[in-house]
Amino acid sequence: MISHVDNPVLELHNLTVTYENKPAVWNVDYTIPEGNLIGIVGPNGSGKTTMLKAVMGLEKPSSGYVKVFGNDLDKVRDKVAYVPQRGSVDWDFPTSVYDAVLMGRYTKQNLFKRTSKRDREITNDCIKKVQLENFSKRQISQLSGGQQQRVFIARALAQEAELYLLDEPFAGVDAATENAIISLLQEMKAEGKTIMVVHHDLQTAPKYFDWLVMMNTRLIASGKISDVFNQELLNQTYGGRLNILTQVGELLKQTSHPIREKK
Amino acid sequence: MELIIDFFFKDPVVRWVLMAVILMCASAAIVGCFTFLRKRALVGDAISHAILPGICLAFIIAQTKNPMVLMLGAFGSGWLGLITIDFITNRTKLKTDAALGLVLSVFYGFGILLLTTIQNSGNASQSGLDKFLFGNAAAMMQSDAITFGLFSLVLIILIFILFNPLKLVTFDRNFAISRGIPVKRLELLLSVLTVFAIAIGIQAVGVVLMAALLITPASAARFWTHDLKWMIFLAAAFAVISGIMGTFISYTLPKMPTGPWIVTILSTIAIISIIFGFKKGILSKVRLRRLNKKKILRENILKCLYHLGEKAGNFDKFWSTWEILEKREMNKAQLKSGLKQLESRNLVILKGNAAKFSELGKEEGRRVTKIHRLWEIYLTKYMKMAPDHVHNDAEAMEHLITPEIEKDLEVHLKFPLIDPHDSPVPYKDLK
Ligand SMILES: Nc1ncnc2c1ncn2[C@@H]1O[C@H](COP(=O)(O)OP(=O)(O)OP(=O)(O)O)[C@@H](O)[C@H]1O
Ligand SMILES: [Mg+2]
Repeated sequence: MISHVDNPVLELHNLTVTYENKPAVWNVDYTIPEGNLIGIVGPNGSGKTTMLKAVMGLEKPSSGYVKVFGNDLDKVRDKVAYVPQRGSVDWDFPTSVYDAVLMGRYTKQNLFKRTSKRDREITNDCIKKVQLENFSKRQISQLSGGQQQRVFIARALAQEAELYLLDEPFAGVDAATENAIISLLQEMKAEGKTIMVVHHDLQTAPKYFDWLVMMNTRLIASGKISDVFNQELLNQTYGGRLNILTQVGELLKQTSHPIREKK
Repeated sequence: MELIIDFFFKDPVVRWVLMAVILMCASAAIVGCFTFLRKRALVGDAISHAILPGICLAFIIAQTKNPMVLMLGAFGSGWLGLITIDFITNRTKLKTDAALGLVLSVFYGFGILLLTTIQNSGNASQSGLDKFLFGNAAAMMQSDAITFGLFSLVLIILIFILFNPLKLVTFDRNFAISRGIPVKRLELLLSVLTVFAIAIGIQAVGVVLMAALLITPASAARFWTHDLKWMIFLAAAFAVISGIMGTFISYTLPKMPTGPWIVTILSTIAIISIIFGFKKGILSKVRLRRLNKKKILRENILKCLYHLGEKAGNFDKFWSTWEILEKREMNKAQLKSGLKQLESRNLVILKGNAAKFSELGKEEGRRVTKIHRLWEIYLTKYMKMAPDHVHNDAEAMEHLITPEIEKDLEVHLKFPLIDPHDSPVPYKDLK
């Protein structure tokens, strides 16, 4: 069950990403409509993070391509913001909440310039939006997990992008913070932004999202939540197929067998 | 004293050498901050050792002790060491630590072999090549000093210009890539700068101790600040102080190498930082705990006075120490010291063995009492705890809760008037 849309914000075309010849994302092909809140679900190790990294150019696809707003990423970088998993950085780094959020204002063009007044205003605004204004001067290691997550989100907000990719923003976050974040994301959607969120809680998925991407190394489904959120597809995503796929993947790694036949 | 003044101002050569040492140490420490934060301290050590064979080879080939030539050799083999480490970790199954150990011992061993060969060959101008093992800044000539000083200055300026992108890459590499920042090129540049700083720095401290000059200032500075700019500044300052003192000692005591002295002084600074550092030092934690304890004591006394006043319906009354002790169990000496602290803060007025509130003190007592009671209400209402279980919890929380949380509590609980033990919640305007 894969629905395609016209003029997609994001298009993955037969995307495959491998680690040591073992595919983590395998022939994934979908399109994403503009102005929606999109959930990405799948079990652990199903390639969700890898897929986002490939979109951001952090991992090289071994085949296929990604188009953002119909372009190569390099042409539209300023329109895309990425929020990595919280565990991906060392929070003991000597910097304050304010400075960390300000990093969202750096682009290739203004790297060596001093920050402008506008940059500082936007930074403070974004800190307010995630309700960290009382922590603005605090060192980032002295924050709770949920607060650190909000620093990352504020940094992405400061980029003033059109497409946001969030990797598990609700991991280790309490219910109140989760609610605050989701209403923030809904506000952004109302402003016409597109937000993709890796999510693990199937209970809340239908409440939060308009569109769902279900994957397990391969794409299982991509479409309106009402069309794809059903038992059969969930079983396919989380169920037995995983087993065979992992086995084949391991085999590929061991034998260095090519993923595609060379023509 | 005279010796020191002589040392710093009489001899122009010494002045140049000192200038060079200052810049060399500062640049090593500044570059080292990034090495440290990128968790590449051991790589720094391996590269420092990997530099030795390059120096010896440059000497054998060019038959000169010209520092520029030797430095070129140093840079070459340092770079080769770095590439080898990356190659081993990326292309083989060996882990980083194995790659580091391998490069360090193979390169350094080869370097020592070359050095011994040169020494045994009886080449007249070889004497002094071994100063690269432990460094001897004092033996630098004026022209060398100027060259090395200039190189270091360029290094420092480059880091200064690249500060923002370097910070970004060091904190969150993937994010930097996602912003289209040329991370690969920046990292390459940082590696070049590191190898350069090391190749220059060995003049002062030598191959064996170079890693200490690179990493120790950064790790010591980290204990004093949570701000990268300050950390860099402090690291540079620590290294410069050590460099000046080390050079001074090596001038006064002939034949004394500079390296061990610089590193000894640096290590002393590091130990002091570990113990006394404001932000992460051991004492800062002990002090924080002691300050907390004192604050808790003061607030408890104020609360106790408030309760007494509440009961008597009179907040202007003097209470004797035994009346206070009767109300609240505590050590008599503690109470005395607590009252003294309160007096010096103008919170109570003491008269002999008796104490009463000042206006300010009454306000504080009211605030603590109020938070205590609000918290008790909160626990019974939201945590469904029994009223007789909430007191101890509130005893601790009343000292912690900030004005913001206090406000939240009031709004959440809709300004309750009575606590679970039927005592009134003392708001400011309600008398
Ligand atoms: N750097 C890496 N090197 C080798 N294999 C990797 C690497 N990163 C991920 N993998 C493998 O690729 C597969 C997909 O990983 P990925 O992190 O994309 O999954 P995920 O869906 O994000 O999982 P989770 O829900 O646990 O975050 C896993 O089998 C993982 O072991
Ligand atoms: Mg993941």
